[in-house]
Amino acid sequence: MNKRNILIILENKPGALARVVGLFHQRGYNIASLHVDAVEDVSQYSWLENDLTINLKPNEVSEMTISTSVSDTLLTQILRQINKLIDVLYAEEKK
Amino acid sequence: MLMQALHEESVELIFGYPGGAALHVYDAVFRQNKIDHILVRHEQGATHAADGYARSTGKPGVVLVTSGPGATNAVTGIATAFMDSIPMVILSCQVASHLIGTDAFQETDMIGISRPIVKHSFSIEDPNEIPKIIKEAFHIATTGRQGPVVIDIPKDMTAPDKTFNYDYPSKVDIRSYKPPVAPSDNQVQRAVEAILASKKPVLYAGGGAISSNASSELIKLNNILKAPVTNTLMGLGVYPASDPYFLGMLGMHGTYQANMAMHNADLIIAIGARFDDRITNTPSLFAPNAKIIHLDIDYSSVSKIIEANIALFGEVKNSLNKIIDKLNDGSSNHNPEKFIPWLNEISEWKALHGLNHDLYLDQTDNNMILPQQVVQHVYQETEGNAFVTSDVGQHQMFAAQYYHFDEPRKWINSGSMGTMGFGLPAAMGVKLAHPKEEVVCITGEGSIQMCIQELSTCLQYNLPIKIININNEALGMVKQWQDMNYGGRHSESTYQNSLPNFVELARSFGHEGIKIEKNSDLKEGLKKAFSLKDKLVFVDIYVDPSEHVYPMLVAPNGSLKDIWLGKDKKA
Repeated sequence: MNKRNILIILENKPGALARVVGLFHQRGYNIASLHVDAVEDVSQYSWLENDLTINLKPNEVSEMTISTSVSDTLLTQILRQINKLIDVLYAEEKK
Repeated sequence: MLMQALHEESVELIFGYPGGAALHVYDAVFRQNKIDHILVRHEQGATHAADGYARSTGKPGVVLVTSGPGATNAVTGIATAFMDSIPMVILSCQVASHLIGTDAFQETDMIGISRPIVKHSFSIEDPNEIPKIIKEAFHIATTGRQGPVVIDIPKDMTAPDKTFNYDYPSKVDIRSYKPPVAPSDNQVQRAVEAILASKKPVLYAGGGAISSNASSELIKLNNILKAPVTNTLMGLGVYPASDPYFLGMLGMHGTYQANMAMHNADLIIAIGARFDDRITNTPSLFAPNAKIIHLDIDYSSVSKIIEANIALFGEVKNSLNKIIDKLNDGSSNHNPEKFIPWLNEISEWKALHGLNHDLYLDQTDNNMILPQQVVQHVYQETEGNAFVTSDVGQHQMFAAQYYHFDEPRKWINSGSMGTMGFGLPAAMGVKLAHPKEEVVCITGEGSIQMCIQELSTCLQYNLPIKIININNEALGMVKQWQDMNYGGRHSESTYQNSLPNFVELARSFGHEGIKIEKNSDLKEGLKKAFSLKDKLVFVDIYVDPSEHVYPMLVAPNGSLKDIWLGKDKKA
């Protein structure tokens, strides 16, 4: 069990945050800390724009960091569950 | 606008119930003739009926309910569809926007309540968005791993005194939602190599293979492999039960040979199945020598319970086709004969402890009817061609074990959620989708009472369903567990002579009822029920209340080879 930071990029829409937080509760994962902010400067995510062939506009997406203590196997499962949420564009461990 | 958008999505039927917040929408329902509306008697019935429609056709089911209690009554049905990955769109009306958050009459936060049991949900904030949101909702419900989508519609968003530009999008693109389509060639290559190297493979197919309409591909694959196949409760029919390579259902109440084959396999090919706890028993003891190839559209289903050695992400149909193509491209040489010793081993298990079908059908010495017999006679009367819906409990397992499904989408049951009350409304949805087909609801006296109000709906729309009530005067599965694990203390699992007269009850709803109590009347009684083609017939059959469902896996802490074969009899 190590402390992990998960970076999530999600649509800045009403209810999107609740879906991520709800998922943690629903699946029995614990949140140690959570930070969320609308992304004003989208240039830092040009790699994501390239990956998904999309264009981001300022404040259109939010950046969320969640820290949680889990095993490797569970981390993979959590990331897959988060990525499954329709409003989520990206979720990976932040190293 | 809403109705037009639904029409563009080829919706033929809506199941629903009106109310204050839904009045504008219901006025629009009245003033059009392209989509039929079925008025149920309880919103739970609407969701299960839409679910039955979806499961039997593959098309999404559509539900329309009002705010507050209308929406919350739909919750059980939405959860049922979610747990079994059934495509559904639920239009849940809401109080007017300016009232949201004020504890208004019939206000409830449906988006919040339904969040854990939907694939996605939308709230309409601008009427101009309605066409786009409908398009996206149907796209999300019917693609990837399918599931229910809720659309919350505040009353003012459908106000008839305002007009809006109607522009239905021709295509849909959700940048954050791209389900996988087909697996990589590399993974397919690895899967084929593992198949060719195996001596004891089992194909294990579930509901995902039905959702993906992959039945013919599965049959095609096994025409090449000639390996044993088992289906989950949700997968029954995707591989024909009458095929010699079929082992029967696996899992908690699966056949001895199916569970033993899984336990002893050296390769398990999971096809749209997710290693549910009713399948694996104790995961750490599951199939100790097997490599796992997992075909699934949902990343999060793979390696969740059982680690997969090879994962093929994509539509199951596409994954199967790629495996078939690889096996046929001349680069590999599969010899089905190498599986013969394995098939022989499985045949021995079947001969030893397989379900004894003849025994039940021929039983005449005991005047008490056995529930297994009932299912066998229903199978004979319908020549195995009926759509069978079921409720939840012992009767569900007997139906799964003894009605042999040769085609997908014919066995309609609440697998993962285990929702009592599902059977009758689901049968309504199936019958409306397939008016010329025989639709049978195999139920029990406990389950049927949970949505029995829908008998009234059946009269209104003339739905001649056949209800087979396997009546053991107790909550049989609960009682069975109490017998096995709680020293026979039947806590709240019997009704103390308070059951209704089901025959009279059915008649009061305008239907026909038949009561069968004796073994000698069973065949004739069922024959008569099925001969009344234009009537809903409620057949109330009193069975041996002491009967248990076997085989049954030993739990907790058991593996797939730890099996109860009968009372006090372990394998």
